Amino acid sequence: MINAMIKWMQRYEGWVGAGGALCLLAGLYLSLVASPPDYYQGEVVRIMYIHVPLVQTAMLAYSVLFAGSLWYLWKRDPIVDNLCHAAAGISAFLTAAGLITGSIWAKPTWNTWWTWDARLVSFAVMFLILVGYLMLRTFVDDPEREARYAAVLAIVGFVDLPIVHFSVEWWRTLHQPLSISMRGVALSGEMLRPLIVMSIGFSALFVYLLMVRTQMLYLTRLLHAKKGRLLSHAHLSDLDT
Amino acid sequence: MSRLYLRWGLLISAVGVIAWLAAGYYTRHLVSVTPEAVVNGQLTGDLVRVQGMVEAGTLAGDVESGRVRFMLGGEDEAIPVRYDGPPPENLRELKTLVAIGRWEAADRVFLAHDLALVSNYGFVMGAYAIGLIPLGLFLFAMERRVGLLYREIKQSKLYEPEADQDVDAR
Amino acid sequence: MPFFRVIRWVAWKDLISEIRSRETISSMFFFALIVILVFSFSFSMDQSETRELIAGIIWVAFAFTGIIGLGKSFSAELQNDCLEHLQISPASKGAIYLGKLAANLLFMLIVEIILFPMFVIFFNLDVVEQLPVLLLIFALATLGLSTVGTLFSAMTVQIRAREVMLPILLLPLAVPVMIAAVEATRGALNGSPIAMYGNWLQLLAVFDVVFTVMSFWVFEWILDS
Repeated sequence: MINAMIKWMQRYEGWVGAGGALCLLAGLYLSLVASPPDYYQGEVVRIMYIHVPLVQTAMLAYSVLFAGSLWYLWKRDPIVDNLCHAAAGISAFLTAAGLITGSIWAKPTWNTWWTWDARLVSFAVMFLILVGYLMLRTFVDDPEREARYAAVLAIVGFVDLPIVHFSVEWWRTLHQPLSISMRGVALSGEMLRPLIVMSIGFSALFVYLLMVRTQMLYLTRLLHAKKGRLLSHAHLSDLDT
Repeated sequence: MSRLYLRWGLLISAVGVIAWLAAGYYTRHLVSVTPEAVVNGQLTGDLVRVQGMVEAGTLAGDVESGRVRFMLGGEDEAIPVRYDGPPPENLRELKTLVAIGRWEAADRVFLAHDLALVSNYGFVMGAYAIGLIPLGLFLFAMERRVGLLYREIKQSKLYEPEADQDVDAR
Repeated sequence: MPFFRVIRWVAWKDLISEIRSRETISSMFFFALIVILVFSFSFSMDQSETRELIAGIIWVAFAFTGIIGLGKSFSAELQNDCLEHLQISPASKGAIYLGKLAANLLFMLIVEIILFPMFVIFFNLDVVEQLPVLLLIFALATLGLSTVGTLFSAMTVQIRAREVMLPILLLPLAVPVMIAAVEATRGALNGSPIAMYGNWLQLLAVFDVVFTVMSFWVFEWILDS
């Protein structure tokens, strides 16, 4: 009775999780111990090895949310709805972590905790959209309507994000001509390696998180539904006797 | 469930090993003392790293040749530094940096052969902690919950075909 | 039911009920007035600084006022099962959306047109030559807020915490509209030639087209029973 997709997740989650963990451990070693500091930024460039993968994975999660929402509206599969919910929660988490690590990186390099740079602002707007999505899911009572509305919100939000990025970028070029361009990191081969390993590790970690969280949401709903039906069964058998 | 704790125990141990290696890297390459410590003679070994600020009006010498002199100031004390090495880039007064070299107690001068940026390692530690620890807690809590849910579903026998239940009720 | 007739009918229905009760426009208007007053107390208003801030103040006032109007748009349908009737009606849901959009747009524009002279008076603005451009900016930006706002108003009308969910969902998505509206208004009020802020008008137009089409297409999933 357990759904095919859940069975698939149960079978492969171990591999994905183990692979991701190994990748992350290797990446951590490369980032903190085996790679050189940057010429201009010094040791704080190591923050790049965790900030950039977090941001990349957050955007990957957001894209998965968008694709899953389209899939849900097309096929109306409740497990896809669980997948979307899971992806949104994970994306929100990763976005928050990305914003905070970005802020920590900004302080020693740009001497400010926050700057109204286009990427930062659009990333913050993405976080707000995700929070709105999660709140919407909490406040809708009917599960089928919740799934539909959430899917619509995810699609509208995804289409809007490039427009947000554009508008903020134009806005900043107006008011901040001395733009703080790329963080001035000349990526040598030795610095590319930890970055790539951490990126792969975080992507694998995201897939694993998605598998675990989707199962958690699915099982919670399954238990809830079955308990309700068992109770009603008990009621009916009482009526018979 | 015990496999969950075993997995996480192994993972945390592995992260601990890497943290220990990173701490080793820090003590070998990054840890630095203040000018006060240099003056008070609390030095460990020949190779000393002193972190301080280039005091205003004290920078002298020829940057291109790689020979400069300045006073490196901490909270209370300032030590004279004579640098002889590769031409320093972006060296200016009021800049905080790390001078690497030897303290000549007799002449009361610090002979530096290298200048480095302030390591700011606290930011690195903070960023990695905030990036990884909440994520780890989140994942652990979810895995644990999934394990408990599977156990509960198995115990309440929710996967029995429902036709049997109808037969039994009748 | 034929498509355009549905649109006209829905818009006309909202207009008539508003003419009879005058609830929405009056509450929007007085709320906006209070917002203007609070802003005038919060910032010290001497002539040189005013120009830089006034565009932002105008649009913050319009945005929050618009949210009130958008919220009322569908919450008025909750009485007498009107919402269920809309849900089960055979009319195209997209047509219902466009009718609601037209009504919301009209109400917001009316409030803005009444309010703007007050801004001019309170802050001593010099706007006579820029009036057509300003009206264009108002129309485009209000349409932008209304497209997404009407969609989210329908989405949030039947859920808990509806009054707070509408701004939470709307405002992040409306960031491009707000930025473009403020920059274009500031350009117009400063008397700059249109070429300098024309790209913001283009952005507003693109936003309007994209989100009207998208909301139209998606609305049937919102108003499904």
